[in-house]
Parts: sequence; structure tokens; C-alpha cells
Amino acid sequence: MFTNILFLMSAVLTVGGAFAVILTKNIMHACVYLLSSLLGVAGLYVTLGADFVAATQLVVYVGGIVILMVFAVLLTGGSDAQKENKFGLSKIPLMGNNKTYTIAWITAFVVFMTLIKIISNIIKYYKETEVSAYTATVEKIGMLLVTDHVLAFEISSVLLLGALVGAAVIARPRKRE
Amino acid sequence: MNDSIVSFLSEFAIYKAFVASVSAKIGFDATSLLTFVVFFIAVLLVVNVMALIGGLGTYAERKISADLQARQGPNRVGPYGILQFLADGVKMITKEDIIPRMSDKFLFIVAPLLCMVGVFATLAVLPFASGLMLTDLNIGVFYMLGVSSLVGVGIFLGGYASNSKWSMLGGMRGAAQIISYEIPVTLSILAIVVLSGGLSMKTLVEGQLGVPWGWNIFHNPFTFIGFFVFFIGALAESNRAPFDLPEAESELVSGYHTEYTGMRFAFFALAEYVEVFVLCGLAAALFLGGYLVPFNLGKGLPLLEQFLQLGSFVTKTLLLYYVVIWVRWTLPRLRVDQLMTLCWKYLTPIALFNLIGCSFWMYFFEGKSLWVLLFKSGAKVAAGHH
Repeated sequence: MFTNILFLMSAVLTVGGAFAVILTKNIMHACVYLLSSLLGVAGLYVTLGADFVAATQLVVYVGGIVILMVFAVLLTGGSDAQKENKFGLSKIPLMGNNKTYTIAWITAFVVFMTLIKIISNIIKYYKETEVSAYTATVEKIGMLLVTDHVLAFEISSVLLLGALVGAAVIARPRKRE
Repeated sequence: MNDSIVSFLSEFAIYKAFVASVSAKIGFDATSLLTFVVFFIAVLLVVNVMALIGGLGTYAERKISADLQARQGPNRVGPYGILQFLADGVKMITKEDIIPRMSDKFLFIVAPLLCMVGVFATLAVLPFASGLMLTDLNIGVFYMLGVSSLVGVGIFLGGYASNSKWSMLGGMRGAAQIISYEIPVTLSILAIVVLSGGLSMKTLVEGQLGVPWGWNIFHNPFTFIGFFVFFIGALAESNRAPFDLPEAESELVSGYHTEYTGMRFAFFALAEYVEVFVLCGLAAALFLGGYLVPFNLGKGLPLLEQFLQLGSFVTKTLLLYYVVIWVRWTLPRLRVDQLMTLCWKYLTPIALFNLIGCSFWMYFFEGKSLWVLLFKSGAKVAAGHH
């Protein structure tokens, strides 16, 4: 029963947060709602017994992605001069224009259809089963990462190295020419 | 599932009998209900005690700083001024709660709460004693890193929502500093995880010995350096001097909480002091033997054992807390570029070096500590208390 309550709360947090993200007009508020949605997803992972993934969700999304998003929003700002306050800080950065809305709708449609395609199978062949007893997942994930999925693991490290080098190159002070 | 305070209690016959009697009275199995009640009481207790420690932290800060500067410090309220923090709390509550007109009201209200939630959520896995910790999650340290990153979001949003240049700069600095210093801190923790072979707090603590030569800090030269990297990183993560740039008084008035008044400001302050305690506790647990008592004193008497372990943990933590305050009132503040240089050009490479060094140490010496390798007698002593 307790797990069910936890699951329901997490689900409400996830879905409610997601709706709030798209309904709000303020992009900073959208980031905060996204935070609650991501926390909800972490809660869902916990109820499914994937503790390591849940903690990773917290570390990566809450600690990294959301802060990065907020940073990016603040550093780019909006282009509408009237939305700025008297300090020159952009109060409500622009949410988008017709072009971005069009692309967003097409993307949303494709993603939605893909999800329907995936979920339909699950619904069709769904059988009520007992949730298996909780087992530690860290060791299993670790073993799989360095055995079966070692290629993906190594490639992602190369990707990260590339990102790091790229960031260093961009941030490097340029010489005056 | 995980070890927790309930699983500790249910080893006692009294608790079992109590559960049975309650079950008989209400007509169904009361195990889950009592688990909930026990957790509720334990969490209430821990949160309140930690809030008290946070409050006493402000008092300790003022008293120790006064001592270091040959002053008196607060001495009017109560004996030695020890009730000063209560007076401050009453003052905070009765102050006018100002929300600036041009501020982002929603974020302004949410930001201090995010800080509080992030810090207090870490208390769930803090190992006070082998039985009295709230829960021993399988991924304890990792969970702690995850939820404590909410603090960064809170500080940043607090700075943004205030709609003031000082707050904005403070918030920006705070977020940049916190996400930068997370890297050396996490790498230092990872080195200890490599030594202990697990992420749960119990594994990490009980991989050590109660006596100083069995602590992780003296396990090998790499962990010795790693402790200092961790401690410096922890200072920066909790925005303590010499890394208190987000609230640098001389430049930014008061940084990200410039516009906050009353209890909202108190939330930020409380979150900071409790975070310092949590990080000191983490340092004690990872490097200084945590709750382990030398020579396993009190073994066989569960209550005495728990009490001694609690004492051991709190003593180590408070000593580190004293060092944190001592550092604050001794060292001048760094500049922003010095801060980033320290993190990215010194601490991160050192932490990486430590991690690789620890891994090699584990590979070549099969996890034996330096003392075991150096002295045969040390090996006997160490083996005798396993």
C-alpha cells in the first residue's frame, strides 16, 4: 500500500510538473516545474526498485541539467526590450516564436506517435505480475557496464572528453589580432 | 530491504512484543503501521535536533569568532549567552516578512524551501550510529550527493528571484561554485568508495577501524591527500569562508539572500549551518572512522554501544565543525578567478590522481593499509579488532 501511495504521489508530481511546464509563460518557472517533474521521475524509479537510477536521476538532472538550463536562460536572456526591468535583467525571457512552435509541434507529434507505438505493445500483452523482491542494483549495473556494454561506456567517455575539450577551447581567452 | 532504525529496533524482543500486542488490539498486523510511526517519530526527532544544532551553530560561530579575536561574544541571554540563538529565532519570527515588489514572488518563496529540503533530505542517510541512522540506503553517498544538489538550485533561484544585482551576482557565483566543487568532492568520495567497495554508509564506515590508524584518512597517502581535497571542496560547497563569495559582504552586501528578511532569511542561514554539519559528518564518516568506537567498547550492550557510537560520531563532527569556523575567521576570502583556478587546476587533477592512486593501491596491495604493510605488529593489532 505504501509503495502504491508513493507511486501515485510521484506520478502526480511528474505529470503535474510536466503540465505546469508547458502551461506557464515564464521560462524560469518552467525550469522549476521541470525540476519537480524530474524529481517525480526519480520517485517512480524508486518505486520500481531501481535505486541507483533514481539517485543518478537526482545527480544528473537536478544537480546538472536544471542548473545548466537556468544558467543558459539567464545568460542568453530575451530579445524583447520591454520585458526587461529597470535593472536591465530580463524578467520574462521569450518562450518562442512561430518557427520554434512549429518545430516543437512536429517533434511532439513524432515523439507521441513513437511512444504510442511502444506503449501499445505493453498494454496489449500486459499481465498482472508480482513485483520482484528488492535487490541491490549497483553491482549489476557496474558489472554490465564493464562487460556487456563496455563499448557504449567507452564511447560515452570519449564524448565527454570531447565536450570538455570543446568547452575549454570556447572558454579560452582569445588573443587580440 | 535496507537496514534502518526500524530493522534495528525489531531485533529487540520488547519491540516485537509491542508490535504483537498492538496487532492484537487493533485486529490486523501492525508492523507496517508501527514502522511508519517509528519513522515519523525518528524523523521528527532528527530534524528538530539538527535544527537545534543549526541554531547552536550560529551561537558557536559567534562565540568562537569572538574567542579568536579576543572579544566576549554574546553574553547577555542566558548563561554565557547560550540562549542567544533562541532570542535570534524569536526576533526572526517577529520581523516583517518583506517580498520585494519587483521580485518573482513564486520563486522568491520557493527558493529558501528548496535549500531547506535539499539539506534536510541528506539527514536520512547520515550515519549517527550503527543502529540509530534513519536508513542505510544501498546507495547512501550517491543519494546524499543527489539531494544536496537541490541546495545549489535554491541558492541560484533565490538570487534570481530577488531581482537585485547583488542577489543575482551572488546566486550566479553560488551556483557556479557549487557545481564546480562538486567534481573534486565527488572524486574524493569515489576514492573512498573504491577502498570500501560499496556506496552504503554502513559499508563505508565499517570498512574502517575504531582506532586512528584504522581510519581511511591514514589508509594510504592518497586518502590522506583526498581528505584535504574533500574538506576544501566541502567548505566551498557549503559557501563557507574562504569561499563565501556568494555572500561576500564587502562586494555584494549579502549575496543571494540580500533581499530576504525574517524567517525566509533564517531558512537560508539554517540550511547553511545544517549543511556544514552534514558535510563535516560525511567527512567524519568517510575518512575519520565515523561512528566506530575504539576497541569496540560497549559491544554486547546495544544501548551503551549505540550511545558510544553516537558520541564518537558527534565528537568527530563537532571537531571538524570547529575547524570550519576556525578557518572562516582566519583566512581571507578568495577572488572569483582564484576560486575557479583552485578548483579546476589544482583540486580536480589532485582528486583524479588520488582516485587512480587508490585504485592502484587496491590492486597491488589488496586493500591493506599502509600500517599493515609497514609493521607486522600493526597488522596484528588491526586484525585483532576486525
